[in-house]
Amino acid sequence: MVRYGMVIDLNRCIGCRSCAVICKIHNSLPPGTWWHRVETVGSKEHQTPSGDYPNLTELYLPVPCMHCDNPPCVKVCPVGATWKREDGVVLVDFERCIGCRYCMTACPYGVRQFNWEDKDKAVEKGFKAAGFEGEYVEGYRHGYPIDHRTKDGRLVYTPKRPRGVVEKCTFCVQYIDKGLKPACVRGCPGNARIFGDLDDPNSEISKVLRDGAHTRLLEDLGTEPKVFYLLPMKRAERGEVRYSPELEVKL
Amino acid sequence: MKVSRRDFIKLSAATAFASGLGLGYFQKSRGVQQNAGEIKTVRSVCSPNCTGACGFDALVYNGRIETLTQAADYPEPEYNPRGCLRGQSMMNLIYGPDRLKRPLIRVGKRGEGKFKAVSWDEALDYVADRLADIMKRHGPESVAISIQVPGTGYVHKGAMMRLASMFGWSALHGYTMNGDLPAFWSQTFGVQTEEFESLEWTNSKYIAIFGSNIMVTRLPDAKFVNIAAERGAKVVVVDPNFSPTAAKADEWVQINPSTDSAFALAIAREIIENRLYDEEFIKTYTDMPLLVRMDTQKRLMAKEVKELEEIAGKLNVPEYRDVFVVYDVNEGFKPVNPETLERDFEPAIEGEFEVELVDGKRVKVKPVFQLLKEEVQKYTPEKVAEIITPPNRNKGEYVDMIKRLAFEMATVKPLHIIYGASNYQWYHGDLKGRALALIVALTGNLGKSGAGISTYAGQFKIRWPLGAWWSFKGRKNKWVTYLLWMNKEYRQSEEFKKYNRETPYPKNDVKAFLFGWNNPFDQHNMANRMIEYAENGDLELIVAIDFQMTTSCKWADVVLPGVAWYEKYELTATILHPYVQLQQPAIEPLFECMPEIWIFKELAKRLVQKWNDEELKSSISEFYPDPELFDEEERARKDGTWSFRLARNIAHKASLKAVELMLKTGGELVEGITLEKLLKGPVRLNLPTPNKRQIPFWEQINLKKPFPPQSYPVPLQKTARFVKSGRIEFYKEEDVFIDLGETLPVHKDPFVDTEYRLNPEAKRKYRYFYITRNALYRVHSTHSNNITMLELQDFRPRVWLHPITAKENGIAEGDLVEVYNDRGRVYGYAVLDEGLHPSVIIFEQGWWSRYLRGTSYNSLTFPWIKPTHIVYFVPGIWEPTTAWNEVACAVRKVEV
Repeated sequence: MVRYGMVIDLNRCIGCRSCAVICKIHNSLPPGTWWHRVETVGSKEHQTPSGDYPNLTELYLPVPCMHCDNPPCVKVCPVGATWKREDGVVLVDFERCIGCRYCMTACPYGVRQFNWEDKDKAVEKGFKAAGFEGEYVEGYRHGYPIDHRTKDGRLVYTPKRPRGVVEKCTFCVQYIDKGLKPACVRGCPGNARIFGDLDDPNSEISKVLRDGAHTRLLEDLGTEPKVFYLLPMKRAERGEVRYSPELEVKL
Repeated sequence: MKVSRRDFIKLSAATAFASGLGLGYFQKSRGVQQNAGEIKTVRSVCSPNCTGACGFDALVYNGRIETLTQAADYPEPEYNPRGCLRGQSMMNLIYGPDRLKRPLIRVGKRGEGKFKAVSWDEALDYVADRLADIMKRHGPESVAISIQVPGTGYVHKGAMMRLASMFGWSALHGYTMNGDLPAFWSQTFGVQTEEFESLEWTNSKYIAIFGSNIMVTRLPDAKFVNIAAERGAKVVVVDPNFSPTAAKADEWVQINPSTDSAFALAIAREIIENRLYDEEFIKTYTDMPLLVRMDTQKRLMAKEVKELEEIAGKLNVPEYRDVFVVYDVNEGFKPVNPETLERDFEPAIEGEFEVELVDGKRVKVKPVFQLLKEEVQKYTPEKVAEIITPPNRNKGEYVDMIKRLAFEMATVKPLHIIYGASNYQWYHGDLKGRALALIVALTGNLGKSGAGISTYAGQFKIRWPLGAWWSFKGRKNKWVTYLLWMNKEYRQSEEFKKYNRETPYPKNDVKAFLFGWNNPFDQHNMANRMIEYAENGDLELIVAIDFQMTTSCKWADVVLPGVAWYEKYELTATILHPYVQLQQPAIEPLFECMPEIWIFKELAKRLVQKWNDEELKSSISEFYPDPELFDEEERARKDGTWSFRLARNIAHKASLKAVELMLKTGGELVEGITLEKLLKGPVRLNLPTPNKRQIPFWEQINLKKPFPPQSYPVPLQKTARFVKSGRIEFYKEEDVFIDLGETLPVHKDPFVDTEYRLNPEAKRKYRYFYITRNALYRVHSTHSNNITMLELQDFRPRVWLHPITAKENGIAEGDLVEVYNDRGRVYGYAVLDEGLHPSVIIFEQGWWSRYLRGTSYNSLTFPWIKPTHIVYFVPGIWEPTTAWNEVACAVRKVEV
């Protein structure tokens, strides 16, 4: 059985938010909704340093759904709308969700979002905030155009995005079920992401996790996230300039 | 090759499979959706003016682009995936509320934005009438065009140049208009620009980045800095401001703004003092062994030397070369053949010599290296620390740092210096570049994998000869320098009259302005003056071609709706990654938008009827590369079968013919690259290097060919005269360099020759540097109106300042502030940034005026012209280049 997971390499992450944007476009998310966020740790403004001179840092942290192996959101769902699939992906059945939002309270990562309004309404509000006078041409909406259901028929992706349900990152279930990688992985210009089967010892993701120091968010909560972060290397560990012994003496 | 429409669809489907999307992508999901339409993917190239040229797959459903995903089909897997957040959300512009629908003619005042929608015939006839009238009254050269960056579209931008060539209109060169031309390249190496492809970054062991924010501005390439670091390279960022690039570096060195030349010269001094230079390299490839006359400050020529007169007379060198002299340690004075870098002399590089001239006069001469050694003595670490150390920092630490970095840069090889555009877009940008180039030349870091100096801005460098398409039957357009157009005062100044030898200007000024792919009324230095010309009627006609209603379209008299890069065939070949690629239409152009090749063809067709030139009139059907295509559309017009679809299909075919023409006539760099291959995916240029890698000066260093390599499209003799010795030249002897004391690289403080000269009061009134950096959320002004990008910025522009600067001016985080000087103003919300230099105020460029209370952030800038930039004129290679950052400003809180 496969067990999907994702590695995000924080050395490689350049904070460009391409993952967040491609997620938004592919998953038909209107203004106001982000299933994936990238922020600069400790800074109010993205890509502005934290700390005091000369110890300034910018650490970018992308946060999708963690697809926990022990997902608190699943336990609290009174109707079984959110569940962990056999491949480890945590999904929401849009047709079963009653919008009680218990799962949002339960999720320690804040990645779940409630769909308060129709997509059109959200677009309208976004356009108003942007000061646009017009609309998209002829009712245009972006996003993967076709509904996706699991093998047992549960609706887990739809470009229509029904109101009154909770939604979140699905590891792009509409793609991974076709053998494709999630959009954020395909769309990362920093090559910072690896997606694959954690149970296959020969998969790239397993190898990387074996070799490199990594962490997970809020590990002490016991949620067992399947999104892993490769830790930023200490400066001393990289960029080591190798001098010839003769020159080193001189230095 | 004949390719039918059906074949294209087949081929593009094949491309999709090749790109690894696989069959699954086309299968409908199991289940309910009954009305699923046709899904297809089309590979095209995202190509706004970022030079990225990233391959994208457009997923098309029911005739609309639903998603965009990086194609990730480059032959070197390291390059995959290229593309970023802006390209991924391009549909927000294609289908956005600012999309143009029909041709427009202005009905209100200029800039008011009131237009009436008209038919194409009406719009084109109107433009042709007005143009013909202006051409007759003021001469055709008073019509100016701008295509911005050619690399993003050889076909359609070429079509506009082709039109300009028919009538001898004046073209504005985007490279200098945008300030992306770092003038040191032509002065030192005799080329337009050079740079490594980003894959080469990973071969460096030391990457020194001077004022470049690659992590944001070179987004698809940024990872190669990280990979280089992982492989053991040291990355140093020298920048007044902490940036995402500094965050990824091993070391960030904060210096005062625009003091890099002092820093570089201190490094050069340390290298020379400690004899860490590569003697073999500088003797072989640079002008450092050449002798300079102490009486005239000019280089000693062989024909001037009594004992060499005879040999010099026999040497047969082209007129763009000169034979200079070295002092050979065994043979005495010896002429240097400028046509090869094979060295047949052993020069003294230090000392002073006396030489007898032909007229019997004896003069003192010194090698360039000796002069350089004397010059850099002024740049001791202690003195330079005085110049570069920011306020409240320890100068002693800077002295140690200079010594340490000099030693590292001299000894760790290969060294790659990246000289950023925000750093060279200053009045003395050329001096900084010459000083930085000195570091790589002294250490022999050139022409090798991972060793060199690069500048990364613009997509201007033309990769191979394009004349067969870009000029109509061999006709030539004229040129007008943008800064001369904006700077009337300079045109009339004594300085201009004294030093200008070649730079042209239209006799009757610029009267009509046609632009495409361009937003000059927001985006150009200096936007206020452009608006002034529009308002006072100096500009009699303004025509904009775009696919969106930009600020500049609002200033136009006529707006002609073009298309985005998913609606046409186009050829791209940009500088940074050496691939030739094809844009393909994923969708039909929306509304009445038309591929630009058609627009220019139609304008040409109408203009020849109003212009007295029989050759043009009789050969107009040749505007399309296949006259039969031209005739086919004309026949359809006559028999009433003309339709948008028909005209577009013909335009698509003509575009592909133009692609084939440019490949067929492009010479060895594109030999074997065919349309068929491009339809399958990106193809690497035939570069003359191992693995066809983009390694600047590889032939000069490894094959001993003289400098410069050719800069297309101009013939070699035009640029070779910049470096008459055939060598890398650090000594410039043209009069203006002597007059300004810039024969060798030196440091000059910012503002002294600009703001403070223009207005001595500025020193007191405007204490801050106004820096307009590139934003993560825009490509210049493209994507300014992208809803997703706007959302990521909370829909509002920002002004970045250091907490000290904020305090000095009574500004708190989030306050609305105004940054201003005598010329203009810009508004934004304050962000306090501990990483900034306290005298720097940053605004992120590219915001359309409508987000800035109607002002342009470029209203603060000034069209400075440095006289060293008018020594020669070769468009976009040696001409005045914009210095955006040479702007003094003040800041205040706006009471709301």
